[in-house]
Amino acid sequence: MTLRSPPPEPLTAGPPASRPRPPSRGYWSEVWRRYRQKRLGVLALLYVVALSLVALLSPAIAGTKPVLCRFEGRWQAPCLGYFVEKWEDRMPVARKLRKRYSPERLKEADPESWAIWPLVFQDPYRRVRANEWPGRPGNPSGMEGRPSRLNWLGTTPTGVDVFAQLVHGSRVALLVGFVSTGIAALIGITLGALAGYYGGWLDVLLSRAIEVVMCVPALVLILALLAVVDKTTIWHTMVVLGLTSWTGIARLMRAEFLKLREMEYVLAARALGAGQARVMFRHILPNALAPVLVPITFGIASAILIENALSFLGFGSPPPNASWGNLLKEGQRSLSMWWLVLFPGTAIFLTVLAYNLIGETLQEATDPRLREAAK
Amino acid sequence: MSVPLLEIENLRTYFHTDDGVVRAVDGVSLKIEEGQTLGVVGESGSGKTVTAYSVMRLLAPTARIESGRIAFLGKDLVGLPERELRQMRGRDISMIFQEPMTSLNPVYTVGWQVMEAILLHQKVSRAEARRRTIALFREVGIPDPETRVDAYPHQLSGGQKQRVMIAMALSCDPKLLIADEPSTALDVTIQAQILDILRQLRDQRGMSILFITHDLGVIAEIADHVAVMFQGRLVEYGPVLDIFSRPQHPYTKGLMACRPRLHTPYKILPTVADFMEVQSRGAELTIVEKQMPPERLAQLTTQGRGRLLHPRSRLAQIGHPWEEGQHAPDTTCVPEGQSPLLSVQELKVHFPIRRGLLMRTVGHVKAVDGISFDVYRGQTLGLVGESGCGKTTAGRAIVRLLEPTAGRILFDGQDLARLSGRQLRAMRRRMQIIFQDPYGSMNPRMTIEAALTEPMVIQGIGHSSRERRDRAAALLEEVGLEAAHLRRYPHEFSGGQRQRICIARALAVEPEFLICDESVSALDVSVQAQVLNLLKRLQEKHHLTYIFISHDLSVVKFMADMIAVMKDGRIVEFGPSDTIYAHPRTEYTRQLIAAVPKDDLEHIRQRQAARLAARAQRLSA
Repeated sequence: MTLRSPPPEPLTAGPPASRPRPPSRGYWSEVWRRYRQKRLGVLALLYVVALSLVALLSPAIAGTKPVLCRFEGRWQAPCLGYFVEKWEDRMPVARKLRKRYSPERLKEADPESWAIWPLVFQDPYRRVRANEWPGRPGNPSGMEGRPSRLNWLGTTPTGVDVFAQLVHGSRVALLVGFVSTGIAALIGITLGALAGYYGGWLDVLLSRAIEVVMCVPALVLILALLAVVDKTTIWHTMVVLGLTSWTGIARLMRAEFLKLREMEYVLAARALGAGQARVMFRHILPNALAPVLVPITFGIASAILIENALSFLGFGSPPPNASWGNLLKEGQRSLSMWWLVLFPGTAIFLTVLAYNLIGETLQEATDPRLREAAK
Repeated sequence: MSVPLLEIENLRTYFHTDDGVVRAVDGVSLKIEEGQTLGVVGESGSGKTVTAYSVMRLLAPTARIESGRIAFLGKDLVGLPERELRQMRGRDISMIFQEPMTSLNPVYTVGWQVMEAILLHQKVSRAEARRRTIALFREVGIPDPETRVDAYPHQLSGGQKQRVMIAMALSCDPKLLIADEPSTALDVTIQAQILDILRQLRDQRGMSILFITHDLGVIAEIADHVAVMFQGRLVEYGPVLDIFSRPQHPYTKGLMACRPRLHTPYKILPTVADFMEVQSRGAELTIVEKQMPPERLAQLTTQGRGRLLHPRSRLAQIGHPWEEGQHAPDTTCVPEGQSPLLSVQELKVHFPIRRGLLMRTVGHVKAVDGISFDVYRGQTLGLVGESGCGKTTAGRAIVRLLEPTAGRILFDGQDLARLSGRQLRAMRRRMQIIFQDPYGSMNPRMTIEAALTEPMVIQGIGHSSRERRDRAAALLEEVGLEAAHLRRYPHEFSGGQRQRICIARALAVEPEFLICDESVSALDVSVQAQVLNLLKRLQEKHHLTYIFISHDLSVVKFMADMIAVMKDGRIVEFGPSDTIYAHPRTEYTRQLIAAVPKDDLEHIRQRQAARLAARAQRLSA
């Protein structure tokens, strides 16, 4: 059989001549087109993007460490200490000033030096005292820290600025959401795909495993684990959350694989001689991912909620760690300090709402019934 | 006649979608007299279903009746408030749908569902409603109605469920029954029974039927008047005999000609494009009639090879010995001594039924239960049978998409059932399969280019991606599409175009042998004709060997040299296709052939005469 340009065929009635049409859209660009039409979904997405920017730039927004400084002839960025303490420890300026920065101390140590400071000179972990910044009073402590010109969202009983803590807390919130759901998605997609594709005893085994894990209450497991581990960090919480929340994703993935495995295009690929890996990764997985995206988004929201709940109960990441839940816990002591409840509460509420809205919009945008209707 | 039962005048129903206005029904005028059947025929997207749904006002929220009048016994339904309309639905006008499997609620007994319909519109006691339900079940031919009343939908067969739906529609003695493709999802023999029942009910009750279908054969069986729709417009409307004897509109002519019939004179089917040309200018369509030149007609009847039968010695063995003069003049036999390309011997595919906690096997579904046949190089073997007969399973087992339980599949002397791994992959280059569903058989995330080059990558055909791309373009042109389509995604193509792409994908590995598993069943008749022609042309050009699996006897007859009729996992009859159709030997084959809707004029005249007699009898009684 040779395939050259075919001879003129008088007997085929070809399809009607095609009109010029817009360029073809792939599935994801089609989803994005439908997503964009939902105003709330776009708003929620913008909120999450903005929150991610805040988290990424948090040391530059609020802090007591210079964003960038020229000290003893070298460029240094002590603000990175908010991300990883060790980085700051290695900087000469940090050793010289014993991590107490102010324009005066910098000039004292090196008259040539200069620095770019964060927008708001407030620390998320400790009280800023009087004259730490030249001519500026210290943060009020006790019940007196209502919102003011210097402390926009008030201070905690120990005098820590609420705004700074909220800004730095966004890092924890996002990290918990992404890392724990990332772990859950990885486990869930892998196990679900294996169970759905191979079926048989592997499916029976994995399905029972899923059921067992579903029975374990995540909150209790975390509490038990935190009691065993000496020095708990936020990472422990994330791992435990990830290890317990993959079941929903796995079940959905299994169902998708079971369904798609019998699709004719998968059969066609097998008939063409495609190997198992090709069938799984090229033909089934891309088609199975869209529906899984929705529980993943919802999973992020619930992980954020659980982390804050743990912090609120006092089992969260121990201080110094700015979590929104920690703030709520402080506010619970005295209701007259309404700013300790209102602001972190709103932040948690908006973030969880945003993720849920994204999930819902995604669900509509990737709905299989719409997939065909989009022709 | 005073007022017609239903009169539709200049109906326009438009869909307002994100991408603009779709004129689903664009100026349709129809009329149904009492006791008459109006058949509305058209292909998918012609607006026939939307017309019916407009009458019932069961339209999707995006649809709106823009203008026109729908008068039921003189009363306009278009402006009627929802409350009054709801009372008319079911009582005066009722409807049956295409899919009996999903039209019944699985958690209630079928009797309960019919009783509910009765109680909703009539003031009768429950006992009376039940009595009437049983009477209705008897009327629509459900066996043993007293016990079937308490059956759940899953306990009934597809044909019985459709009868229950009819009983439900009849429960309040409607004046008009709207039947939306009521027999399309059913096997031919069941379809014939359902049509029988509808005819009987109409004649005994004097009910009118608005019958919607894509199948002209079914129209010929049941309709008094025919309305042919094309792209939302009514192109031809008249008494059934006139339409079938003297079709006026080129679309009607094309539609009739492109349908393979049991006695078709064509070797290559004419298509609608032979009769007309559609010129679109924006929303306006102009249809230009084309005259078919005599050369073209001659081409259609003579081009292409004649039937290619088994070697004479084999024909004698299977009980259909070659008889001079009994076959068409261009029929030939495979020369003696040539060995078959594919030889299936005692193939069995059994599926275990597992029960209980330990998934112990308690029995087997014998989907294919010992079938044997040979296919010679260049032949087309037709595998025909009703749903559940095992034809698809057999096809899939031959290409090893399913593991055969027992038996041998010799392909060019090699037993496919024993191949594995590398050898099997090499063999897949020589045999391919094309599936039924043009929507499900392409990966929606892959461009056409990716879909066509993938088989070449797997099988190591072509040296560079550029070379493969060029070959993919050539393949597309070969199946009648353009190279420019390579960049597009499957959802941008129509069903027929997708099926062409699937054929191109199968051809990408240069196979010698193709299995077509109901490959044209999901397509509109005019598209079906094009794809059948394409398959025939490809067969001659590349010397392909086909197994053609279908439930449609006319299509199989058109395509196949030899035919195997399957029933319950076994082959009940095997032989040259013309001989089997002319002289079926088993009762089952005879039934199958008899059930195919007939549209010859003599048959239509008979039906009409029977109709008038029944009507006269009813009126005099």
